[in-house]
Amino acid sequence: MKKPSLVKQIIFYIAIVVIWQLVAMSSIWPNNLFPSPYEVAEDLVYTASDGSLFFGIGTSLLRLLIGLTIAIVGGMLLGILMARIETVNQTIGSLVLGLQSIPSVAWVPLAILWFGLTDGGIIFVTAVSSMFAITISTYTGVKTINPHYIEAARNMGAKGTQLATYVLIPAAFPHLISGFKQGWAFAWRGVIGAELLFSFLGLGFLLNVGRQLNDISQVFAIMLVIMMIGIVIDGIIFKRIENKVMSRWGLR
Amino acid sequence: MTKLEAKNIVKYFKHDSHRLKALGGVNLQIEDGEFVCLVGPSGCGKSTFLRIVAGLETPDEGEIFFDGKPVTSTGPERIIVFQEGALFPWLKVQDNVEFGLKMAGIPKEERAQISKRYLDMMQLTKFADSYTYQLSTGMKQRVAIARALVMDPDVLLMDEPFAALDAQTRDLLLVEMQLIWEKTKKTILFVTHNVTEATVLGTKVAVFSNRPSTIKKVINIDYKRPRLVEDQNLFPLQQEILSELRPEVKKN
Repeated sequence: MKKPSLVKQIIFYIAIVVIWQLVAMSSIWPNNLFPSPYEVAEDLVYTASDGSLFFGIGTSLLRLLIGLTIAIVGGMLLGILMARIETVNQTIGSLVLGLQSIPSVAWVPLAILWFGLTDGGIIFVTAVSSMFAITISTYTGVKTINPHYIEAARNMGAKGTQLATYVLIPAAFPHLISGFKQGWAFAWRGVIGAELLFSFLGLGFLLNVGRQLNDISQVFAIMLVIMMIGIVIDGIIFKRIENKVMSRWGLR
Repeated sequence: MTKLEAKNIVKYFKHDSHRLKALGGVNLQIEDGEFVCLVGPSGCGKSTFLRIVAGLETPDEGEIFFDGKPVTSTGPERIIVFQEGALFPWLKVQDNVEFGLKMAGIPKEERAQISKRYLDMMQLTKFADSYTYQLSTGMKQRVAIARALVMDPDVLLMDEPFAALDAQTRDLLLVEMQLIWEKTKKTILFVTHNVTEATVLGTKVAVFSNRPSTIKKVINIDYKRPRLVEDQNLFPLQQEILSELRPEVKKN
């Protein structure tokens, strides 16, 4: 991140907090509907000090990690098969496009019936809500590989899983990264959505508790945490991998 | 001893709905250790012919025989070097060179020993740990040649490997290529559109006619090496080849 943009961002966020405080103080909306930044901060400190915040974050992130891992492995496998075998693309490919259009929370009723109110159910929702985006980007990535890479590799004796591991996946990696990024965003929405509806631990559950207790500062606080985790994973982790891959592959 | 034999190779190009006869029955016999250059008007299918020999494409009619046995697929005894090298950007130079050995399951230490020999031969030792985006076009082609030689193929198939190089780099590689050929005693098939290049390198130059192409004439060159681009004694041969080529280019 460049220095001037960082300065601008800091000023911007300070301004938001100041305006927020002023609006809260003006009492346009009653305090139980619009908390002040101070109250939200207080709530954050409180949930942090009794450990429930970190337990919630940990639970949600663990579910995300397991669900996303399943989605990445399954999605890549399916995507490679679709890209390399035309029959798979013509049959399963059309189904994947359909499944991709199902919103993540729409999987929740099915997950509850199949898995009950368990971690497994939430992980299932996380995995299916991100898997097909990864499948599609893997497919596109493998399809757009310079054909000479594949020909050279086959010529030198690579085939089957060897070809997939040593050529297809690394060659498609710039595409895969953007697929993982998209997949993670879907998975994160999936986890939080499922936790809200399952009401079984995690950040989504804490959000729901806030709603049930009419604790508006908790709702604000948890939403902030969800957003911040998003910024960290997207803007720091993925950005770094992406930059590295792009320069290595000579794309930048 | 005959290393390669092409018998009546016919190949159609598919353009949307209609078919275009590219190769109209190519016959060619190549002895072990020969350096054969294929020249022809652009679009005559000489590169396609090379790809058929490599087993990356199948002919519509006719057959290629390697050591008397028909060629049915691609294999490491016939290694192709592409015009742009088709090096893998995700691998370091040394790993690129060792790729085929890795596919063959040769252990790491042994791979390093073999690759070192060819990295030295191609003057790449300093660049073993570089990524391909850090190399000039000429260096990339050196890596591509080293990667092919490491496979110890019977036949080296080169598809206009020097076409994208600047004149100085090319002239240097033309001399080196002759030394490599003398040192390794490989059978080489070298596609080029550059007549000078063909006369400098080849023990034989095969001139392709325009589509549907056949081999119009084979010219033997028995002249001392290393031959230089500026050698006046090669001039009459170049004129002879050009006089064969010119009417074919006009037909295009």
